[in-house]
Amino acid sequence: MPTRVTLRLVSVNLLIFAVGVPAARAAAAPAGAMTERHRAFLASNCQGCHGPEKQKGKFRVDDLPLTMADLPAAERWQKILNALNSGEMPPEDEAQPAPEAKANFLDDLSHAMVGARKRLADQQGVIALRRLNRREYANTLRDLLGVHVDVSALPSDTGGPNFDTVGASLFVNGNQFEIYEALAQEALEEAFNASIVGSAPKKLRFEAEQAHPAFLKKNQESLEAIDRMNRWIKAVDDAAASPENATLVARLRKDAPADDDLRFHWHKIPGAPSPMNFGFSKETEVNPRIIYRHRDYVDFVRYDEYYLRLSALDRGAYLPVRSNTQPFGFGGTGIATEPRFPIPRDFPAGDYVVRICAGAAPGAPAERLFLDFGLKGSFVVGTGTPARSTHHVTGTLEAPEVIEIPFTLTRANVEQNHRQLFVRERGFLNLARSQQQFREAVQRNGHGPEVAIWIDWLEIERRPVAPETLSPGLRALDLPLDARVADVPPEKLRGALARFAQEAYRGIPAPDGLVDRLLRLYDSRRATGGTHRDALKQALATVLSSPRFLYRAEPEAGAARRPLDGLELATRLSYFLWGSPPDQTLRDLAAGGKLRQPEILAAQADRLLDHPGSAHFVRPFLGQWLTLDRVDLFQFNQTLYPKFDDAVKAAARQEVYETFSALLRDNGSLGELLSADHVVINALLADYYGIPGVSGDAFRKVALPAGSPRGGLLGMAAIMAMGSNGQHTNPVERGAWVLRKLLHEPPPPAPANVPELARLGAQLLTARERLQLHQQEPQCANCHRKIDPIGFGLENFDAVGQWRTTDTYQARDEAGKPLPNAKKTWTIDAAGVLHKGPAFRDYFELRAIIAAKQENFARGFASALIEYALGRPCGFSDEPLIATIVAQAGAKSLATREFVHALIRSPEFLSK
Amino acid sequence: MNAPQNRRGFLRTGTALIALPVLESLGFRRFASAAPAPVAAARPKRMVFLGFGWGVTEQSWFPDVAQKGAGYTLPSGLAPLARHKSDFTIVQGLVNKDVSGGHTGSTFWLTGANEFGAPGQSFHNTISADQIAADSLGKATRFDSLVLDCGAAANASGHGQGLSLSWDARGKPMSGPKTPVEAFHRLFAQETTPIEVQKTMLRQRRSVLDNARESARELQRQLGKTDNAKLDEYFQSIRDIETRLSRDERWLGAPRPAPGLPEPKPSLAGYEEIALMYDIMIAALRTDSTRVLSYRQPVSTLLTSLDVRIDAHTMSHYLGKGPEYLEASEKRDRAQSELLAGLLDKLKSTQEPDGSSLFDHTTVVYGSNIRTGHTLDSCPTLLAGRGAGLRLGQNLVVAKDTPLCNAWLTLLRGSGVAVERHGDSTGVIPHLLA
Repeated sequence: MPTRVTLRLVSVNLLIFAVGVPAARAAAAPAGAMTERHRAFLASNCQGCHGPEKQKGKFRVDDLPLTMADLPAAERWQKILNALNSGEMPPEDEAQPAPEAKANFLDDLSHAMVGARKRLADQQGVIALRRLNRREYANTLRDLLGVHVDVSALPSDTGGPNFDTVGASLFVNGNQFEIYEALAQEALEEAFNASIVGSAPKKLRFEAEQAHPAFLKKNQESLEAIDRMNRWIKAVDDAAASPENATLVARLRKDAPADDDLRFHWHKIPGAPSPMNFGFSKETEVNPRIIYRHRDYVDFVRYDEYYLRLSALDRGAYLPVRSNTQPFGFGGTGIATEPRFPIPRDFPAGDYVVRICAGAAPGAPAERLFLDFGLKGSFVVGTGTPARSTHHVTGTLEAPEVIEIPFTLTRANVEQNHRQLFVRERGFLNLARSQQQFREAVQRNGHGPEVAIWIDWLEIERRPVAPETLSPGLRALDLPLDARVADVPPEKLRGALARFAQEAYRGIPAPDGLVDRLLRLYDSRRATGGTHRDALKQALATVLSSPRFLYRAEPEAGAARRPLDGLELATRLSYFLWGSPPDQTLRDLAAGGKLRQPEILAAQADRLLDHPGSAHFVRPFLGQWLTLDRVDLFQFNQTLYPKFDDAVKAAARQEVYETFSALLRDNGSLGELLSADHVVINALLADYYGIPGVSGDAFRKVALPAGSPRGGLLGMAAIMAMGSNGQHTNPVERGAWVLRKLLHEPPPPAPANVPELARLGAQLLTARERLQLHQQEPQCANCHRKIDPIGFGLENFDAVGQWRTTDTYQARDEAGKPLPNAKKTWTIDAAGVLHKGPAFRDYFELRAIIAAKQENFARGFASALIEYALGRPCGFSDEPLIATIVAQAGAKSLATREFVHALIRSPEFLSK
Repeated sequence: MNAPQNRRGFLRTGTALIALPVLESLGFRRFASAAPAPVAAARPKRMVFLGFGWGVTEQSWFPDVAQKGAGYTLPSGLAPLARHKSDFTIVQGLVNKDVSGGHTGSTFWLTGANEFGAPGQSFHNTISADQIAADSLGKATRFDSLVLDCGAAANASGHGQGLSLSWDARGKPMSGPKTPVEAFHRLFAQETTPIEVQKTMLRQRRSVLDNARESARELQRQLGKTDNAKLDEYFQSIRDIETRLSRDERWLGAPRPAPGLPEPKPSLAGYEEIALMYDIMIAALRTDSTRVLSYRQPVSTLLTSLDVRIDAHTMSHYLGKGPEYLEASEKRDRAQSELLAGLLDKLKSTQEPDGSSLFDHTTVVYGSNIRTGHTLDSCPTLLAGRGAGLRLGQNLVVAKDTPLCNAWLTLLRGSGVAVERHGDSTGVIPHLLA
């Protein structure tokens, strides 16, 4: 009961507060409320049929409360919004409101609706019990047991409107408990195995040139076969051409007009020799097509011949350029397709490092010096396996350099026999492009594309597994894990289970009852014939599927709000900034009562942010906040945009993370995400952006020349690419994204039932003309007058974020064929005027206007951070917290770390 | 790297532990009669729900509303269904009045709930029609229902929030097999463990569950009210599994039925994937493994498999975008109609023991909460099958704003499910009944 009373008080305060505080938007009405002005609109447009006299459809508007304080009131307003949006009301034969007035009314009402929904859904700061989400669960098992588990069997936690940390949206349903248990068993199995395999070192080096002798032999055979074919063809053709055979050949030609067909009849032509005389098989006598087949491979054999004459083949091998789906080099030798390196069967699952010693071939163009690295199964014939990563080749033939790649061989890889490491030149998979490359090169040089990358050797080495790096879980257990162990003394077992459970429960001691039950479970397994190992695994899997492990419980002591204890705080902090459980340092500080001291807490936050583990904060937070998964929603048209391949797409997304990480590292101003004089890129992206002088895979700060459109989120390829559909730009999507993410003025959700514009079909209009039609209808204009100008201001970026100055539209017929004389090309005009805001002449001025609103951006960032860190939607009751965070960060020029610090020292973060 | 195979590996280990054999099959009457539910003389009723996210093409999928009844012209979007024209009914005018999000084709489609219906919560939903059916029709089968989904492809397919079309009694999203391979294994994975060992394993499963419940109780005592409301989901999951174990026990010893189709290849996507999922659904019905099925179909990968290079959302806004978008939208409609026609063929050609066909006892619901684009009025609704006593072969235009849930109520009652109302239903639709 006391709890409820408190909650009520809170909500009363909130209402007073919300009314008293200036809302983010300029509108005078508090969020979730309309004003007398709006009542006037209803009075003149609706009240005649829906008022005191008449109540058509049993609906009246005159007695509507202006504040949508409860669901029934909100539903009545929603009905008005729906009727206006669908054009159902006012009826066609009635007087219509002026378009501008209608647009303004819809604008205010849709925002008020969003405000009301948000207020009615406000959880008043209460955090629903948080389950470990899918990635936190994987990270937690990894930290505890040192193994990587494939968690794709668990339901996805993303895709909803909230972050994947929000407790209310993290469900457990159906057979999920069983999935957790089965995954725990898998993880334990792998951890047990790893500890038994122990620390045996594993290392193997492949010399790239080793396949060359076989390759040379094969090529010589092929060349010789082509020569034999040519000689036989000439012999038959000569015989056919001799005058004395003319009548016979003329008769044969009636059925076999083509030379190739005529040679089927070689035995009827006097003087024509048998193919067997040229070393071909018996069956070729009746079917010369077998011989002709060598012709299909002439190009490839010539290419191989070119390859085999290259230098440095005694010390290494070149990456070939594919020309066909078939491995080229007749019959295939392995080296001319993609070089593969089998990982030996006795290499166990675990962490490895792969090193590739490579250099540029003489004269290779810079844009071709990227190699793809990956893993595939040995039975896969095709070359369709996507790469894991793409790397810049910085060495030369004389001075090759080693590329070092961290690599994890998972248990799933082992089970599926995925053990073939491969290396290929980037772009290898784009069949159309490599075929074109091949054709062009053959015309130029007669053999095919010049090679670009030379590999000296490749090696794989297991990362050392020393006893002291044994995972915390197994260390806590301190038991033999062999199936053959006969008996473990009960006291020893009890201690082991208690220690393991405490470790799994992030430092919280296991209740006595739990250990008793685990022992009983163990005994019953043994009694029914299970081995020690099986029984132990079952007991431990039970711990790892129990609620104390799966949920981050913060017990309630009776009072509504209480300070978190040290361990709870350590857990919140660690899952916030690492996405994983607190490490020993945090737990020790918690146990010693020190973590709650502000300076220690701040220092720990800095330690966590400085650690590579903070990638598990940066990626999920930024990815979800900025909706970066949209980049994967589309297939980017590889014919139109061959440079925007998987490698660049991945690097483009990485740029967003790396830029933010650099801001965190240097404690730079958050405003640099809106506009900056530098970018954070690697060699691959530098090539894509046309920025010279960047080498290697590491992302680093690179200063921009004056006048560059890059710098800040708007100049990033990933951000612009997700504002497209893979083919064309999508100005509406871009404009709405800027309003949502950069300006913190989110447009209301796309309303249902707005009549669509159907009359544009094959009309030749520019993209802008096309979309300006939006603004003719008030239902559309009320949002699009804000969205569209921003979207058009970004039109200089094409669908893959490259700068352009013109655009075209091609009208097509019903069958999708381009119509003749129905193509329009226009110079992009990015100028515009923001709704009730300043005008801008081009993208650069628009960017400056947006960058000047960094306080809005900071507020949006702060509310996203609050939701992510606290695991609950950020509501109106969080306005003071947002204001505090922005004020504190603002005092330090919006230093990025200061947002994190301001949040973790807030009462909201420090208390239950 | 190769997720499907992976998952299969997982399922194998999973089934060794948990999933026991047993399905009533045509060749296995003996065990069926040994099962606790009596085998009724009449063939059991079945219900199949198919949801396709991003609506359909306005001008070429819906029959002319002026041509009511049986004499309507089949629009081109439904043309592949021509041979079944007298065996399905199109209903026009149905709405879920409380749904306002233009991107949610499936979240509330079968529930009719109001997303904002619970104060203090940012999301609210209620039980879906298929789960009401499962509660009643699913008593005698190995699975009370089978909830099928398309995994990651669902995100871009206009379905909205959720893990499938199905929502449980407390309005929580339900998940199930996400690929044909998973569905196949769920239904037909062969069990080779001896019965005695299986019994022991069942006992062990129970003690593991008891243990989990005990741990949850220990925690429950320390938590506040809100946290406990959340922890309830964990208890519910345990209860759900126990219910299933009891089922497993009843079916102990009955071998799995022959699936009648080969194990699906992994990595199928789009058209082939849907076709295969339909085949598995037929196999599930034919073997009487379950009588209630829901399937949240992929749209994004369907387009890719049809060589359409436009993303699904953009395609759904085909109006005013140029002919290639309209063409993509219509291509999608025809492909979906073709697939449905194939499913109906198989329902008709699959014989029941009494000589009737599956079609005679099944109701197929095919539709979306989205009409087209962002429109939610008059949801596309196609009903087929003679399981619920429907009047088939007509173009039925109901009164404007008739709740979609009225249709669900009609179907449920027609299938013998005793239910008073569902969602925001106001009553049955008499014209729908024969």
